[in-house]
Amino acid sequence: MWEAKVGGRQLHFQLAGINNQNFIMRDQETGSWWQQVTGEAILGPLKGQRLKPVFHEELTFATWKREKPQGRVLRPDEGIARSGQYAPANWEENMASVPVATSQILDKSLEPRTLIIGLTVNGVSKAYPYDAVVRQSPIMDDLGGLPIFVVVGDDKRSVRAFERTVDLRKLEFFVKPGSSQFVLVDAETGSEWDFTGHAISGPLSGRQLKKVAVLSDYWFDWKAYHPNTFIYELGDR
Amino acid sequence: MVDSNSRSFPSRRVAWLTLAVITGASLAVVLFPVWVIHPFRPQSQRGLELSYAMRRWSPLITIMTAVGTFVLSGWIWKHSRRWWRKAILVLVLVPVLAAAWFARQNHFEWMFNPLANAAYVKTSEAGFVADNDVVMAIELNEEGAAYPVRLMAYHHIVQDIVGGTPVVATY
Repeated sequence: MWEAKVGGRQLHFQLAGINNQNFIMRDQETGSWWQQVTGEAILGPLKGQRLKPVFHEELTFATWKREKPQGRVLRPDEGIARSGQYAPANWEENMASVPVATSQILDKSLEPRTLIIGLTVNGVSKAYPYDAVVRQSPIMDDLGGLPIFVVVGDDKRSVRAFERTVDLRKLEFFVKPGSSQFVLVDAETGSEWDFTGHAISGPLSGRQLKKVAVLSDYWFDWKAYHPNTFIYELGDR
Repeated sequence: MVDSNSRSFPSRRVAWLTLAVITGASLAVVLFPVWVIHPFRPQSQRGLELSYAMRRWSPLITIMTAVGTFVLSGWIWKHSRRWWRKAILVLVLVPVLAAAWFARQNHFEWMFNPLANAAYVKTSEAGFVADNDVVMAIELNEEGAAYPVRLMAYHHIVQDIVGGTPVVATY
């Protein structure tokens, strides 16, 4: 997700090709080619320019609807929907069997199509296998010198990451046991937090944790664009 | 008395040869990028650079080769008497004109179906999204927008303006 402008000039993008299984976009204004995953112009008059990333999240519709009832949702094209061309609900499982074609040497630390949650903080990248996140959530970690944690919502699908330093104090979070609703508690103050990173009760009530961008991706794709990435392993810390 | 046939013989051969080269060039300049950057195939930096140059210049190149083909064909036509030679001249126009047309198309948009006119509904009216479907969600200046991944996996690219900022959602 990118801001569609460079130096105050709005750009309109179309698909122009594929580079090692990642889209190339072409802007209609200058004809430059942009790599979708990095937002960088790789060829053409704007070569070397970068689009500004827009903070975005991948959430289940249920979670988003609860948090943002006033929002708007992209509507399907009726003709395409009628002819049944949109992906079925289980399309992600089907993708797992699509072969991987890339000129890069595949890193075999994980299976190429392992779903990972990718984080980059202060130039340091780490891939958290999605299964591990769901099993161990919330995962306390330090990345690029920043204390963070990765957490999955009560839908067991939506993943967020937050900074976990409040007033210079590093917090440890856990899921409140025996609660019908999804509530996080920090061990240091006992304050309760919701999935948006907002403290709903306790000494820190009203405080908001800063979100850290996460990218849901396949391992091979993440590794291609973050060659020095670390991998979170069970019992990493 | 000079035999007109023997005088035009070598230049006619040159004309036919040039015609073949031009036709080949027309096709190559549009087909090379298609071959290099098709999905499920690895790409090299050099291949991408060449493809970019060809995509950029093929609209002009194919017009020039089309004009060249017309001129050459006209000339050969005047100097040909056999019907099948003239038939070949007509047939040669087909790939050359096809290349000029194709250079002006974005065949990736045939393959990946971008959404030309994106439209939105209120969250409460979005009956087409199931609760456990994943959406790409953004919020800018208090305005929230969600792009269902099942739609994005089909269209791959959607332009929008959220909270006054032009954005491009990609998947």
